[in-house]
Amino acid sequence: MTRLDRALGAALAVAAMAGLVWASSAPMTAHGSPDALLRLAWSARPERIETCRQQSDEELARLPQHMRQAVVCEGTTAAYRLEVRYNGAIIGERVVRGGGLRQDRRLYVFEEFSLPAGEAVIAVRFERLDSGTPAVAAIENHPEATRPEREANQQQRGEAVPPRSSIEQRLRFSTRKVVLVTYDPERRALVAVQDAPRAAR
Amino acid sequence: MAALAHPTERLVLRLLTWADGLCNRLYTQRFNPLYQSGTIVVALYLALVVTGLWLTLFYRIGTPWESVASLTASPWTGNWVRGLHRYASDLAVIATAVHMLRMFAEGRSWGARALAWVTGGLLLLLLMICGWTGYVMVWDTFGEHLAREGARMLDALPVLSEPTSRAFTGEQPLPTAFFFLNLFAHIGIPLAMGVVFWLHVRRLARPLLLPPRPVMWLVIGALTATAVVWPLAMAPQADPLVLPLQVPADLFFAFWIPFTQDLSGGSALLLATALGLALLAVPGFTARRGAEAAAPSVVDEDICVGCVQCSLDCPYGAITMFERTSRRSDLVARVDSALCVSCGICAGSCSPMGVGPPGRTGRDQMDAVREFISAPQRRAGETVVICCDHGAGACASDVAAAGGVPYPVGCAGNLHTSVIEILLRGGAGGVLVLACPPRDCWSREGPRWLAQRVYHARAAELQPRVSRTRVRIAHASAGDRAHVVETVRAFAADAAALGPPDVGDTLDVGVECEAAPPRGEP
Repeated sequence: MTRLDRALGAALAVAAMAGLVWASSAPMTAHGSPDALLRLAWSARPERIETCRQQSDEELARLPQHMRQAVVCEGTTAAYRLEVRYNGAIIGERVVRGGGLRQDRRLYVFEEFSLPAGEAVIAVRFERLDSGTPAVAAIENHPEATRPEREANQQQRGEAVPPRSSIEQRLRFSTRKVVLVTYDPERRALVAVQDAPRAAR
Repeated sequence: MAALAHPTERLVLRLLTWADGLCNRLYTQRFNPLYQSGTIVVALYLALVVTGLWLTLFYRIGTPWESVASLTASPWTGNWVRGLHRYASDLAVIATAVHMLRMFAEGRSWGARALAWVTGGLLLLLLMICGWTGYVMVWDTFGEHLAREGARMLDALPVLSEPTSRAFTGEQPLPTAFFFLNLFAHIGIPLAMGVVFWLHVRRLARPLLLPPRPVMWLVIGALTATAVVWPLAMAPQADPLVLPLQVPADLFFAFWIPFTQDLSGGSALLLATALGLALLAVPGFTARRGAEAAAPSVVDEDICVGCVQCSLDCPYGAITMFERTSRRSDLVARVDSALCVSCGICAGSCSPMGVGPPGRTGRDQMDAVREFISAPQRRAGETVVICCDHGAGACASDVAAAGGVPYPVGCAGNLHTSVIEILLRGGAGGVLVLACPPRDCWSREGPRWLAQRVYHARAAELQPRVSRTRVRIAHASAGDRAHVVETVRAFAADAAALGPPDVGDTLDVGVECEAAPPRGEP
């Protein structure tokens, strides 16, 4: 091995290490577009729609004792229509149903719209589609419903997303910034957020 | 050995040969990092475990970015350790890729070696996942980008009722449980890698786990120096409501993002799965079939004397000794054809020439060398250069130009020492064996056993009556043309200085190779 080979070897090793360092934190384009983003994200319990009826004495008698319930309800969860308008024009529209195979779990909304930077009026509507009686009402109105059943349903009403929520607001969209529209369960309303919560919980 | 059947293998082999030649010239064969790629990964794994344990002491799952930023700001206890951890993981990816390419190019990816290939592919996948979790732990803009891309692909699977991507919407702060799970995976995956690695080397006898110490410390030292000279910088903290134009990405772990970020999550997942499966299915594509496949070794039980040497030398543990009742010996060697890769090492380790792949046993080698020395163009005093087909065999014209007579063999490790003796008795002035570099033997241990048979009386040794001054073993790869010429010239000059050789009778296999007569006979 000549002295030149040694020098070349050292130079190659240094170049390889420099290449490693560069490739280890090379600038990668993550969001090339200068647009802003409107993000709709929330999760909530959909209203349960039920038809309740009182069981007859004959029906109750056919059941084992531990299964005898005066009122039985059958139902499903409500579907909602989501509509998003940008300066009056519809840019997104879909039907949202509960999660899970039986669609009886919490519903979630996760939509993103790329929008040009600048001010714009954003209108988001989230409205129940089904016309059936909500479970809470069905049970509360039922003369045979017990007190615990009524209380449980009142609690559920508090957790479920309201039949109609909307937000219409003039928002400022900045380049590569996200405006988040989410559902605030305490206020039971849609809200727009432009600063993210930072701390992990 | 099986012929190279695939053009892709030949192409990669050509590239590797060139790179090997360059590295041999600049760093010598002993320090050529390309020959140590597999063992370098193990050394880096150990370095990653040690530095990782140190870094874990300072990591806080409640404030991930802040804890890493504070660590990075500390030049003595944090920054360089983190730098070493990061660069070691990057180099591990490169070394794994080189190792896989070498195994692929050398046709060592199929048959009995398929298990090593598949587990190697799994190790690479685990290494990548471990790296991804490591970057997500930091929760800077790159970590978030990586997490989003991964979640997008995961969401294409119809198994989750809510998409994982929703975790990164900014709707709520990321839960501590997310970082805890991530940390758990980052620590747990290396443990799983240990198990897969055990499977990876399971079919090897005497697996070499670490590179030679100087190489290991040079690599770790170079990475440490790099971490000190180029200290790591923190990328900005992830903010779910900000879309960064660029992120400082580690291309070794995120090279795929530019190709997938414009695809839908499902397409990206499909593409990744297809590529992963294709990688694991390589043994199916590269397998030699029919006449192309080299047959496994066979034992001639009438010749076997039960000396156990072949089972000791077999690099793949494919030969086992069994008891038998025979006038010849109490033990007999048997080859497990499912484990045999037909490397032929056993042919060189059997004194009585009773084992080896068909057509490449010691006896077959004796026939071939007799034919060679009886050729009319042979002259007394010539320097015969035994060239391994995988290495110096590619430089046969250079050997001839340097004054040597090339004598190609499938693998120098297969060489029965009687071949050397016959060449010298047949009038050769000297015999130079150009074996592959020890850490690049396609049959793993060929040069090692050859040197021991020639110089250290390992069984099937070169007989003491053969003058060692006329025999030399050197190492060369196919890319070492200049080295080959230089070595052949130097040896030819040394052999010429010894004067004319003593030409004797050729060996009689029947006499020389009957290592022990049947018991009960004189």
